Amino acid sequence: MVSEPREAQVTDRVQPGHFYGAGLPYVGLEHYPGKIIAIEGTDGVGRSTQIRLLREWLEVQGYGVIETGWTRSVLMQPTIDMAKASNTLNKLTFVLLYATDFADRLEEEIIPALKAGFIVLADRYIFTALARARVRGVDRAWLRNLYGFAIAPHLVFYLKLDVDALIKRVLQSGGMDFWESGMDLKLGDDIYESFRTYQAKLLREYNSLGEEFGFRTLDARQSVDRIQKNLRNQIGAFLGANERPASG
Amino acid sequence: MKAATKAGKKKNLLTPTTFSLLHATDFADRLLYKIIPPLKAGMIVLADRYTYTAFARDVARGVDRQWVRDLYGFAARPDLALYFRVPIETSLERLLARRVKLKFYEAGMDMGWSRDVNESFRMFQGKVLDEYDRLVEEFGLEVIDATGGIPDQQRRVRKLVARELERTNG
Repeated sequence: MVSEPREAQVTDRVQPGHFYGAGLPYVGLEHYPGKIIAIEGTDGVGRSTQIRLLREWLEVQGYGVIETGWTRSVLMQPTIDMAKASNTLNKLTFVLLYATDFADRLEEEIIPALKAGFIVLADRYIFTALARARVRGVDRAWLRNLYGFAIAPHLVFYLKLDVDALIKRVLQSGGMDFWESGMDLKLGDDIYESFRTYQAKLLREYNSLGEEFGFRTLDARQSVDRIQKNLRNQIGAFLGANERPASG
Repeated sequence: MKAATKAGKKKNLLTPTTFSLLHATDFADRLLYKIIPPLKAGMIVLADRYTYTAFARDVARGVDRQWVRDLYGFAARPDLALYFRVPIETSLERLLARRVKLKFYEAGMDMGWSRDVNESFRMFQGKVLDEYDRLVEEFGLEVIDATGGIPDQQRRVRKLVARELERTNG
């Protein structure tokens, strides 16, 4: 095996339910019964639809479910919205704002839910933030340390779409916006070209994150039903295996 | 940025980690707009508190020591760092003499160690001072005895600053 030692270190996967790094020393993580299931992917891949369907399915089976989504924290959402609107923050402060939002949701929503044995459906976990930051040239080792307080999810599904399919979906729905087009990177004045270049870079980062963190990749061009069926199969198998105590 | 920190503090909404991250965000903003440009222009930046405040305060709150150091890995290392040291009783006396109402987070009330604000301040700031002692060693902070008179302190500060300027300009 010829691989760079740094890469090898990065590929050492953290056990689900454990902290990625330094963690939250003042919070004990003693085998919480809950599970974190994350759905990742760029805009327009149908994450929220899939999560809504998963929630119904899980609740019918008697699971307690909470949803958590990017920049939805009580603490940070107004600030992040304002920062986006005014377009004044640089990449570093943006990365830190997102991390603060995540930390707030982790401690106030996710950890209490895990303690209570809930399934946490995360509409994007830390990976989208990592992908966006990496595309913007933020140091990888620094980012990993920053998110060292995060808990590794039990399952991460990545709804993958190629740039061509993604562009059509985004244009059919809301259209291209400033941030999703990476206009802050000043790749060019043409929003279409900027979107294309930026999203292609993002997809490359998702792929590399997928290898690092063990994403389960699903083809997002498939129908909603087909994707949902696949998700349910995999989640069902995972939850079933966890409910039965290992024998022998 | 200030708005979120203020709102969070007002509602006592912050955990040790969000407290730490919000201050780091605010610091990043100040660093990029207020500190780095004057440095590039060859000016002297006088910073009333720098990353060391965060290292001491956030670790006293329970965040990981190495994590918070790495978090501030983007910061420029100061050429000279002065630490004005006073015993807790002195700082408490000074604050109370000025009839300053101790702030919730400053007194570490979020830690829930004591309901008495003065007692909480003593406990929390005690931990903060322990961390500062560690920083003096680790980062070579210059300690100024701040129990003495201001002219004495200022004399020492000027001497240290003059020496530093001589070293870098000479």
